[in-house]
Amino acid sequence: MDANMNPTMLLFTILLLSVMGFIMGRKRSYAVANQVGGMSNLHSRPTYYGSLTALWCAIPTLIIFSFWLLFESRIITDLVIATLPDQLQNLPADRLNLIVNDIRNMVNGNIVSSEPNPSMLAAAEHYRKLNSLSHASLTVIVIAVAIGAILVIQKTIHPKLRARNHVEQVIKYILIACSTIAIFTTIGIVLSVLYEAIRFFRIVPLSEFLTGLEWSPQMAIRADQVGSSGSFGVIPVFMGTMLISAIAMCVSVPIGLMSAIYLSEYANRTFRSVAKPLLEILAGIPTVVYGFFAALTVAPMIRNSGGVLGLDVSSESALAAGLVMGIMIIPFVSSLSDDVINAVPQSLRDGAYALGATQSETIRHVVIPAALPGIVGSVLLAVSRAIGETMIVVMAAGMSANLTLNPLKTVTTVTVQIVALLVGDQEFDSPKTLAAFALGLMLFVVTLILNVIALVVVRKYREQYE
Amino acid sequence: MKGKMFFKSLSITGLSVAAALTIGSLAFNSNALAGSARDYISVVGSSTVYPFSTVVAEQFGKTAGFKTPKIESTGTGGGMKLFCSGVGVQHPDIANASRRMKKSECEMCDKNGVTDILEVKIGYDGIVLANSKKSAPMNITRKELFLALAASVPEPGGAESVVPNPYKTWKDINPALPAVKIEILGPPPTSGTRDAFVELVMETGGSQFPWIKALEKSDKDKFKSICHTIREDGAYIEAGENDNLIVQKLDANPNAFGIFGFSFLDQNGDKIQGTPVEGIVPTFEAIADGKYSVSRPLYFYVKKAHVGVIPGMKEFLKEFSSDKAWGNDGYLSEKGLIPMPDDEKKAFNTDVQTLKSLSCGDL
Amino acid sequence: MSETSNIDIVKKGLGKRYRAEKRFRIYGICAIASSLIFLAFLFISIGSNGYTAFQQTFIRLTVHFDPEILGDTTNRESIASANFPSIVKQSLSMMFPEVTSRSDKRLLNALISSGASYNVRDIVIENPNCIGKTMQVWVPADDDVDMLIKGHINREAQEGERRLNDKQLGWIEQLEKDGNLKKRFNMTFFTAGDSREPELAGIWGAVSGSFFTMIVTLVLSFPIGVAAAIYLEEFAKKNRWTDIIEVNINNLAAVPSIVFGLLGLAVFLNFFGMPRSAPLVGGLVMTLMTLPVIIIASRAALKSVPPSIREAALGVGASQVQMVFHHVLPLALPGMLTGAIIGMARALGETAPLLMIGMVAFIVDIPSGFTDPSTALPVQIFLWADSPERGFLEKTSAAIMVLLTFLIAMNALAVILRKKFEKRW
Repeated sequence: MDANMNPTMLLFTILLLSVMGFIMGRKRSYAVANQVGGMSNLHSRPTYYGSLTALWCAIPTLIIFSFWLLFESRIITDLVIATLPDQLQNLPADRLNLIVNDIRNMVNGNIVSSEPNPSMLAAAEHYRKLNSLSHASLTVIVIAVAIGAILVIQKTIHPKLRARNHVEQVIKYILIACSTIAIFTTIGIVLSVLYEAIRFFRIVPLSEFLTGLEWSPQMAIRADQVGSSGSFGVIPVFMGTMLISAIAMCVSVPIGLMSAIYLSEYANRTFRSVAKPLLEILAGIPTVVYGFFAALTVAPMIRNSGGVLGLDVSSESALAAGLVMGIMIIPFVSSLSDDVINAVPQSLRDGAYALGATQSETIRHVVIPAALPGIVGSVLLAVSRAIGETMIVVMAAGMSANLTLNPLKTVTTVTVQIVALLVGDQEFDSPKTLAAFALGLMLFVVTLILNVIALVVVRKYREQYE
Repeated sequence: MKGKMFFKSLSITGLSVAAALTIGSLAFNSNALAGSARDYISVVGSSTVYPFSTVVAEQFGKTAGFKTPKIESTGTGGGMKLFCSGVGVQHPDIANASRRMKKSECEMCDKNGVTDILEVKIGYDGIVLANSKKSAPMNITRKELFLALAASVPEPGGAESVVPNPYKTWKDINPALPAVKIEILGPPPTSGTRDAFVELVMETGGSQFPWIKALEKSDKDKFKSICHTIREDGAYIEAGENDNLIVQKLDANPNAFGIFGFSFLDQNGDKIQGTPVEGIVPTFEAIADGKYSVSRPLYFYVKKAHVGVIPGMKEFLKEFSSDKAWGNDGYLSEKGLIPMPDDEKKAFNTDVQTLKSLSCGDL
Repeated sequence: MSETSNIDIVKKGLGKRYRAEKRFRIYGICAIASSLIFLAFLFISIGSNGYTAFQQTFIRLTVHFDPEILGDTTNRESIASANFPSIVKQSLSMMFPEVTSRSDKRLLNALISSGASYNVRDIVIENPNCIGKTMQVWVPADDDVDMLIKGHINREAQEGERRLNDKQLGWIEQLEKDGNLKKRFNMTFFTAGDSREPELAGIWGAVSGSFFTMIVTLVLSFPIGVAAAIYLEEFAKKNRWTDIIEVNINNLAAVPSIVFGLLGLAVFLNFFGMPRSAPLVGGLVMTLMTLPVIIIASRAALKSVPPSIREAALGVGASQVQMVFHHVLPLALPGMLTGAIIGMARALGETAPLLMIGMVAFIVDIPSGFTDPSTALPVQIFLWADSPERGFLEKTSAAIMVLLTFLIAMNALAVILRKKFEKRW
């Protein structure tokens, strides 16, 4: 076997060895079983002995492999640096890092910065040698460990070995590990926004942030610039978000709910099987497309029709963004409500029909009340979706934080401000950029609260019929 | 039957080994990063410089035999933060800026070991006021613009005090202007374009009131708060950095004016028209020879420690400062960049060749 | 005895009730129709803007590969830096010998894309024998010419108001008359990376960036998501810990995508020091974002498997793991796949988190690995929507059409899978 494998090939080798271990373990278990008088005397089925061997082959080698690669480049780099001429070695660490980059470029056959000098060439050669040496030894070690593991397990396989329990235990641990990733994600989110948010709240007190009626982060771009006072009252921004979300809800809840009712109660199979996927396409359209569409088609259209009616419509009206967002959310509301409506037991409907109610009466007076908690839950989830929507409002809503409820005026939203603050031209550590993280934290908390309420409502409802 | 069992068990093992492998390959991937090397130039920074920087990068990538530089549009501030976070492959080599580097940013650079920085001005960007071709052009002065946009304006009676901006239509400001509602789409306060506009238009406009001009000497803060604060009652609409959408919105709304970079006017001459400021129409020539005075310089900053170690740095700088690029007839001017006067060009060309260091004290 | 019986009361109200019934049905149909009309409207408006981008205007030049102008062409490097722009300019002025003044020549040369010389160069690289010969070559026209031919620039407009002046219009008309100017299929759009010249810009770079990002997302999120769902649905005991995990997952499914971007910025870029603009990081962020979707869908799929199957398996002596992996999982797999496809489709169209991790960048070279700098298709759309050149408007719409094609294909696949394997117990 070629001793100088690259890591990807080595990874495949490990896989191959595990498969080999599986086959050998299985074979061995047959052999052991035959010695003690047949398969029925084995504790587990042969495949479990195979699986056990494979797992013991794969897990330790993968751990070695990961750790080796984790430290490999650092160690090699240190070794290479030690051979560099003194004047290079004495450079500060970050400069050295650049030299090493150049050497690596040479090793990888990339374009290099300049005419290579002999010491660099020597270093590159040295690097290459060490690298192949390291890979070779890793290959040897991994293969040795893998084969060793297979042999040891082979030895331990006997009819009483509780192979299945071992394998199942390992599988369970893997499953548990996977399910905790969600927790780590949440912790990650909280930590990543909290740190900067706390720095922000040191400059702008929390009470001012939460109760201030004015949002105008016009804090100086240059140090000598006064501009307006920076006021960081989140209420107008939040109201803007709420206004746009409310418009979106006014569009999506009636349409979504009626579609769901029609599809689940009236429509025949063929209609349903065509209409439902078509509706779901609306949810699948990327938000950047909706944003492009809202800004270039819907907003001018609303403005013009407003002009015909003699209304004064801003070109970035909350209405345009809200309308398009509402359309995006329709399938969200309809598919969730559809599920809830379908979950209402047929017996309730039959009861209503027996009393002589028409279909629409049954729906209005029996099905909807019964499904109401679930519908409320799905609407709340849709609201949290609307609050967090970014691209539509970045492209179609305005930036000025007006405290207004007039849908024809321009408002701004939390997400728009986050994007504007993080990609603006101002100094990065100013309260302005930190404010983005505070807004992010707020967004997270608000959606969290909404979701928890929605979950509680849905759960309560579910218990009624189960 | 036995075969089926075999495959099922195999699938269990397969799944767990796959999971383990996924984790392993993840570790491998993140390690591969540590060992991988960067052989392209990384540029970050202002979205205003982005359209110009990218042209040079593309030209450079196609002819110089190096990889095409990667150019991110992060905003000047975000770019500076990345640029100043240290020397090394993981940090960008060049930062584009639509304003000069700030002293505090330079100091942050210094603190993180980014000590030798080369500053290059690439040219000027005209800031224009424009409206749809569907409506008549409107000749305007900076004083009128100041009156239209400031949050508080000198009392119309003539007293030396300010009142909240009472002007609703252009006619209120100057009877010669049309009786159309004041509606201006412009960049948000986070933008460098806004900063430059305030300085070049609002300050000059405000200074035409003698008593405000006097304030500049006596009470600088008050002067600035009068001149720099833009009204927030709906006449000025903060429209985001996406200047191309502003063009579409102006086309759809003939009464509105927009504030943006010259290149967008240049590209959309059939839809929108530049508003003459003090009688000067914003054309390429007028901005270049300084007649149209609302223009601001654009810069980029280079980490000197990276020159000579990141492949192509020197050549990229040479391409950028060549006459072919930023010359009077260069390809950057075709994209709407206003070239510098010849002596300035020469000075910066020398700076590039000698890699002159910037000192924080000069900022 | 004139007392009205109940049945009469009911009968009296019946007409009204039937009308209400009818109205209610009509509302339902209206609701569905309105969303479908909007869908059609969106597709038509984007399609009508974008279909022209699939064609591109080309100009036929008669190129003489003059070795004297080209200079040294003995090896690849010298070919790369040979003077091809002059060759192109020379062949253009051969077509219009009457153009002599310097400024007019500049105007004339502006008709041809700055990429033309690379086209000519590629011919030489492919076939070095053509030096000294004369060939006919179709090269892309400048984006302004292209816009004019496609009717996006008004020919009748005042001279100062269009980007091409009257002289240039005259030349273009002559080219058209001689058959030297033609619209052809725009292959560049599908094979090139980003460019600042609309006529040279393509989506292949962005598509490969999206591809690498999606590979990372799929490889990580599907196994992990399925494993987590199995644990929560089949193994976990109901206690506080699993309750927390459950609430967490449901919450994460509704966390705004931009917050995941902030997470990626803080954790993957700043803490782990991964490179900016890499599909690997984009894929990791997308993984975290799609995981909850996949977990929830997979749990629903597991739930839909009737308990009788589990009981039967346990009844004949299977262990819990055997029961899940041998009997429940195979039955739930189609549902899980559907969920995964829908999650992937969402990730493919997502832009906001990528804004935060440096994938909003100008990248010309096609990425060839997980750590090469790259953009993604939706980000490319966002960037092009920003560009001042008129030609990018149709390119943006065309890129949207490509993205929508992918997404609809994925959704259709999910629907087909669901239909094929949907089981009613």
